[in-house]
Amino acid sequence: MRRRTFLRAAGAGSLAALAGCAATPAGDGTTRVSRETIDGTPSGTLRVATYESFTGEGAAGTYLKSAFEEEYPGVTVEFTTPSNGVNQYIQRKQSDASVDADLYVGVNTDELVRADGQLEEPLFMRSRDVLDRADAVKSDLEIDPEGRAVPYDTGYISLVYDESAIEAPETFDDLLDPTYEDALITQNAQQSDPGQAFLLWTIDAKGEDGYLDYWESLVDNGVTILDDWQPAYNAYTNEEAPMVVSYSTDQVFYGADADLTRHQVGFIEDQGYANPETMARFADTDRPALARLFMDFVLQPDHQGQVAERNVQFPAVTDAQLDETFSELAQEPPEAVTFTYDQLQGNVDEWTEAWARRVVGS
Amino acid sequence: MTPSRWAERAALPVAVAGTLLVIAVVFYYPVATVFSEAVVDAGRLTLDPLLSVLGDPFYTGVAHHLFVDPAGVPAGVLAWVDAGAPSVGGGLFGFTAYQAALSMLASVALGLPGAYILARYDFRGRETVRSLTIVPFVLPSILVAVGFLAMFGRTGALNGLLGAVGLGPVEVVFSLEAIVIAHAFYNAPLVIRLVATAWESVDRRQVESARAMGASPLRAFLDVVVPVIRPALLTAALLTFVFTFLSFPIVLALGGLELATVEVWVYARVQALDLSEAATLATLETLVSLVLMYLYLRYEGRQRATTGGGRPLPRRPLTTGWATLRSPVRLALAGYGVVAAVVFLGPLVSLLLESVTAPDGSLTTAYYEFLLAQQASTAAGTARPLPAVLNSLVYGAGTLLLAVPMGVVVAVVATRGGRGSRLAEAVLSAPLAVSGIVVGLGLLQTVVFGTVLFGYRLTAAGPVAVVCAHAAAAYPFVTRNVAPALGGLDSRYHDAARSLGASRLRALLDVELRLVAAAVLAGAAFAFAISVGEFDSTVLLAEGTDSYTMPVALERYVGNRSLGPNLGPATAMGTVLLAVTGLSFVAIDRLGGRWEP
Repeated sequence: MRRRTFLRAAGAGSLAALAGCAATPAGDGTTRVSRETIDGTPSGTLRVATYESFTGEGAAGTYLKSAFEEEYPGVTVEFTTPSNGVNQYIQRKQSDASVDADLYVGVNTDELVRADGQLEEPLFMRSRDVLDRADAVKSDLEIDPEGRAVPYDTGYISLVYDESAIEAPETFDDLLDPTYEDALITQNAQQSDPGQAFLLWTIDAKGEDGYLDYWESLVDNGVTILDDWQPAYNAYTNEEAPMVVSYSTDQVFYGADADLTRHQVGFIEDQGYANPETMARFADTDRPALARLFMDFVLQPDHQGQVAERNVQFPAVTDAQLDETFSELAQEPPEAVTFTYDQLQGNVDEWTEAWARRVVGS
Repeated sequence: MTPSRWAERAALPVAVAGTLLVIAVVFYYPVATVFSEAVVDAGRLTLDPLLSVLGDPFYTGVAHHLFVDPAGVPAGVLAWVDAGAPSVGGGLFGFTAYQAALSMLASVALGLPGAYILARYDFRGRETVRSLTIVPFVLPSILVAVGFLAMFGRTGALNGLLGAVGLGPVEVVFSLEAIVIAHAFYNAPLVIRLVATAWESVDRRQVESARAMGASPLRAFLDVVVPVIRPALLTAALLTFVFTFLSFPIVLALGGLELATVEVWVYARVQALDLSEAATLATLETLVSLVLMYLYLRYEGRQRATTGGGRPLPRRPLTTGWATLRSPVRLALAGYGVVAAVVFLGPLVSLLLESVTAPDGSLTTAYYEFLLAQQASTAAGTARPLPAVLNSLVYGAGTLLLAVPMGVVVAVVATRGGRGSRLAEAVLSAPLAVSGIVVGLGLLQTVVFGTVLFGYRLTAAGPVAVVCAHAAAAYPFVTRNVAPALGGLDSRYHDAARSLGASRLRALLDVELRLVAAAVLAGAAFAFAISVGEFDSTVLLAEGTDSYTMPVALERYVGNRSLGPNLGPATAMGTVLLAVTGLSFVAIDRLGGRWEP
């Protein structure tokens, strides 16, 4: 009889395990260790939430994991890659579900704005003032006035064009010229980071009152707005149009020996829109010191070089050790523009939605 | 009563209860939590979000007057007629319905001749072609976009061919036409499979006796064949409308933002965490689809066509040597074959070619070597292809085993239940009519984050959760295949079995389902296809890279830049996906075919 009871219990347990069901007491313990420094040898598991392509064979995250674990043998870095990114954690906080991660790598400015707008309590904690390497970060990449999100690399949105088909437009108004009819592919700012960056760049250039009319003219001139960067770039590769909104590091993918005719980088108005990627510690983490250690590690000159090259982006610090070919092929715009946290707060969603409505309506 | 007899009696009610439980947990409850955002604000019921969407001309076009100023509508209509009835805008919903209607027509036009050929003609490889028709159904949209650009793009294969004979070039992509053709690519297989199955169930004796009584071939066709294939054709057309009404990624990948559908807005609102407006839009989408479905099911319930039990119509040979060229019907079918080859085979073959073509146009095996390297990699977060293939097959088989009984049970309820049963079926068909984005969001909020019950936070994830979610999405396909066939079955079969002492379950299993085996089999193939192609809930419920499926792994390769910014690795994985699912469909039909009487 007792044996049967045991068997039944074991059976139920393994069924639950197979189903992946779990029941944990609701309302987690709130006593947290909140130390910013580590006494003795760092140890334990660091849970890093990030986007998918940061992990996997050869990716920046994989490099950082092995380098960090080599430096601190007691530490294990674990990645989690929720399909809806930062929203996953905003929604977890809203549902009173546990955050289950120590820091997020890959926060954009607009996501930080959204997190603050949606939540009463902060999602992230301050980091900038406790980092040893904070002063090495390029000041024009700082997007968070509160110092929670710290940049670790940046891309510059620019045009990539085919010099055998077209000359690079010098100004935004040039794009309205018949020369550039049906010539540009870009991305939906509602879905795509470079698409949103390009939209924000036009808002910077044309102003809050002028950008919608500008876009209406752009649509009249035959701009194609696809869902995301990959389909847009693929359409460009298939010669559907001679220009695409992309990144200024485009030539790095092909190398100096390749034919770069179709990989020319154009900076409209001699600018590029900077899209810094940042990392931030979750306010709910119980390993703030370990997460801080990781952030400082990412900002070291050698690791910055590796992250930049593997992400095909620019480093966020002034003293990164970069490969020479990378520096030759990755082009920086003469002037970088970007909207700060304060400028986007309360605006970015409205700007984007108004833009999308105008495009669909025209 | 003996225990086994008792079990047989209880089996159907238990199956109904089990079906309801599964779909309540992985569909109705999660979706209800999202939809409630549309009508609940700070704990109080409100119609404000609904009215603000309905009254917004951007969403509802000219119809917004109905909600903003209903009293002014008659005067407005008169003024409009006075002005010479100029064309009016239908807003985002109007456009979405318009492109769905066009896509439905295109899918029927492209699917019906295919069904006719498969049902009425014999040729080498017919069975295999029939099994493979559902393959487009499982293809991720990013690959359809790749295949379409390579086939129909400015520098694509079609323009190459047209140029060689001095025609063209044609500009197809980034237009409404491209979206409609892509929708037909996805949904014509639905028409082909459903209609061919129904056509094959036409009882030869009925046609022969009609002819013997003096009916012309046309008359016999209209009186005997049409009533049997009509429910299948209308079902396929309805499903195509519902799917393309909810179409999302392909619209922007092949059209552009100017051709956005409502679902694009649902996604954008969810991204911005404006869940109230997202839920409102999604609720309206679902209402449109469910009302259409209910109206259709009422119509179907009134139809009487007898199917099953007889011998199918004899098939004619498709080719008859040189005489083929003198047969106008066969020449027309050959013309159809060319169109079908361009629309179906064109993008698929282009995709296969892309998987062995380097950016400079030379032949390469780099993308397949990439797959092998992924398989060998030990780096954390690597999606390895082989586990993905195996997971897809296991989940697909699990879904098939769960969704077929669920779908059959619902079909039995729908065709036998008396009053209200059609309404019940429409409500139970909701998984077809709810945006995948909303299902994903609902699962995230309830199942992944957990639901607090008796002080415990209950969460679920992993293989069983994935299979349950897939089965909830797939069972309506089984129902839609089986219900028309079951409804058309002569009730004397059932009555005879029951009067001979068979329980209701025995009568169903031994008599009725055997007679509609072809429809059950078609439903099973669709259930498998839905599972293999599913992305939204899989990526949420799969735990880590080890439980990824083929489409999820493929999505990871889309973002992988190790071979540069091209889709080569994704096309290689897409080829694997096509091969694995193609073989699976053939196997399902072959194995299932043994069960047919």
